[in-house]
Amino acid sequence: MNALVLIKQVPNTDSPFRINSAGTWVEEGNLTYGLNDYDRYALEELLRLKDAGTITELVALTVGPERASSALRTCLATGADRAVHIKDDALAAADPLSVARAIVAAVKDGGFSLILAGLQADDDNYMQIGPFVARLLGRPCATAVMRLELRDGATVRVERELENNRLQIVDLRLPAVITVQTGINEPRYASLKGIMAAKKKEIRTLTLSDLKLDAGAIAAASARFRTVRLAPPPKAKGAEILSGPADQVAKELVRRIREKTGVI
Amino acid sequence: MACKILTLVEHESGAIRDTTFELLGLAHRLAGEAGWSASDIKALAIGQDLAGPASSVAARGAAEVICAEGEAVRDYTCDGHARVLESVIGAESPEIVLIGHTPNGWDCAPVVAAGLGVPIATECSNVAFENGRPLFTRKAFNGKFIQVVDLGDARPKVATVQRGASPAFGGGTPGTVRVVPAGVAAGELRAAFAGVKKGETGAVDLTQASVIVSGGRGVGAAEKFGVVRELAAALGGQIGASRPVTDMGWLPHEHQVGSSGVTVNPKLYIACGISGAIQHIVGMKGSGYIVAINKDPDAPIFGVADVGVVGDLFEIVPALTRAVKEAKGQT
Ligand SMILES: Cc1cc2nc3c(=O)[nH]c(=O)nc-3n(C[C@H](O)[C@H](O)[C@H](O)COP(=O)(O)OP(=O)(O)OC[C@H]3O[C@@H](n4cnc5c(N)ncnc54)[C@H](O)[C@@H]3O)c2cc1C
Repeated sequence: MNALVLIKQVPNTDSPFRINSAGTWVEEGNLTYGLNDYDRYALEELLRLKDAGTITELVALTVGPERASSALRTCLATGADRAVHIKDDALAAADPLSVARAIVAAVKDGGFSLILAGLQADDDNYMQIGPFVARLLGRPCATAVMRLELRDGATVRVERELENNRLQIVDLRLPAVITVQTGINEPRYASLKGIMAAKKKEIRTLTLSDLKLDAGAIAAASARFRTVRLAPPPKAKGAEILSGPADQVAKELVRRIREKTGVI
Repeated sequence: MACKILTLVEHESGAIRDTTFELLGLAHRLAGEAGWSASDIKALAIGQDLAGPASSVAARGAAEVICAEGEAVRDYTCDGHARVLESVIGAESPEIVLIGHTPNGWDCAPVVAAGLGVPIATECSNVAFENGRPLFTRKAFNGKFIQVVDLGDARPKVATVQRGASPAFGGGTPGTVRVVPAGVAAGELRAAFAGVKKGETGAVDLTQASVIVSGGRGVGAAEKFGVVRELAAALGGQIGASRPVTDMGWLPHEHQVGSSGVTVNPKLYIACGISGAIQHIVGMKGSGYIVAINKDPDAPIFGVADVGVVGDLFEIVPALTRAVKEAKGQT
């Protein structure tokens, strides 16, 4: 069977984040980027099925600007067979539903039995693309999956993470869409050989016109998902911040811990 | 039949979860802001044999509780829930749909939105009218920022709402309960419920600890955990962790504190190199005294801590270990 992993390139979480001048998103200039952490786990889950011979072809797909191709290269270097990059200026500020529609337009006839994605992207934290794609393709979906097992050629059994250390077991009929929670496996790193091999693998670029999608319709949908503002979170009561040389600060902490908790 | 606000009742085998009443609290505030009447607020419960639990929802803020019942939707599946939600939303044409941001809520809500062809605001910490428009406030960048979203002329406007975003509704005129068939047959569902099970547990039980020293991704590697371990030892406490630490196998899962780990309430909680994502905070905010050590002055963890140090944990934590030992007369 063939499988697809939906990936996103996101700013590294330790990047210097600053709000842009419009106050609607972050300033992109000073960020460094990498493959979304959740997606690394999704990719690994499919690579394991490929190693086992269950998956014949594994495709990685992203919607993003030029720079996002390096995240696809990472997927190719770790073992994906080919990649699809949906890239169009009209998608730069698109709403999540339009992004999902673009993905669906690209994969419609792909014959993918399994589509995996990360539970969420580390930048916008939307948790939407996987379920959106599932619904638009008319396929069943499960999110926050911590275990995945293909049963017979027709069903996949998944364990969805609930709260309080519990899991729900669900059988999905294939083809299905699954979003993966971190910790499901141990993602591998690319080998030097893999990195070299990736250079010869195909990244196919698709634009809106290739997908027969209309920029006007995307603009209209995006008007229904407008970021009015991005702001620092309201400061809760907040910690008193101690400063000074480490040893001095440590002594002061001990004094307070002793006074407030009595554990020392 | 129509309503302005439809909320989803979250229950497990008939036991109603608190988020249900919080959504109704939020719905009443929104109705007040919009000038809608309390009779414009309905709740939808999906499952089997719900009439009993539904009457408690009707008593606490829903003008009508629609119970969509059927054997095929007795247990939660995304496919079953989403189908019922889509058809009830179609019939009631609400302006706003509120669903709890819980594992089941975030699972089915986006499916419903895509089915209706409308956007969704996920994990909202607040929804409020501003200049006559409902605005959806949510976190982005794992809590580093809040994002305020306007869903334009979408109808309905769908949101998943964090627990604790609103107080529960205080009470009012009891509403009615209407039982309708779910209209879903098991055969047409492409997902089948196969049970709920407990996750792995281990020897360590953080719930009983009176001191916990936790390390996060900022510790950087399994072999660098020594500094955290030594401070925990000096204090006679246990070692905790944020999710990435257990995901990457630096520590076993049982050390994970947070919404998908354990909820702890020690006398003292020291967070080292933990940013303070909401999923971590819900697991430790009940601690007696919280110390945060983080090199980023804007890290959200400082918002819940009592005292904080901005700096490199590899300097501060060993210094603190020395100071603790000294204070205990161990040096
Ligand atoms: C459904 C779901 C459930 C989840 N459940 C949980 C859960 O139960 N528990 C949990 O913890 N998370 C959970 N998460 C993950 C959560 O959203 C965060 O991703 C996670 O808590 C971040 O962990 P962290 O703070 O260690 O890492 P990061 O957010 O990467 O933060 C690392 C911090 O370390 C600081 N730092 C780096 N180097 C140093 C240094 N040398 N000295 C001092 N500070 C330094 C950085 O400034 C940064 O603030 C869940 C997420 C989802 C979506």
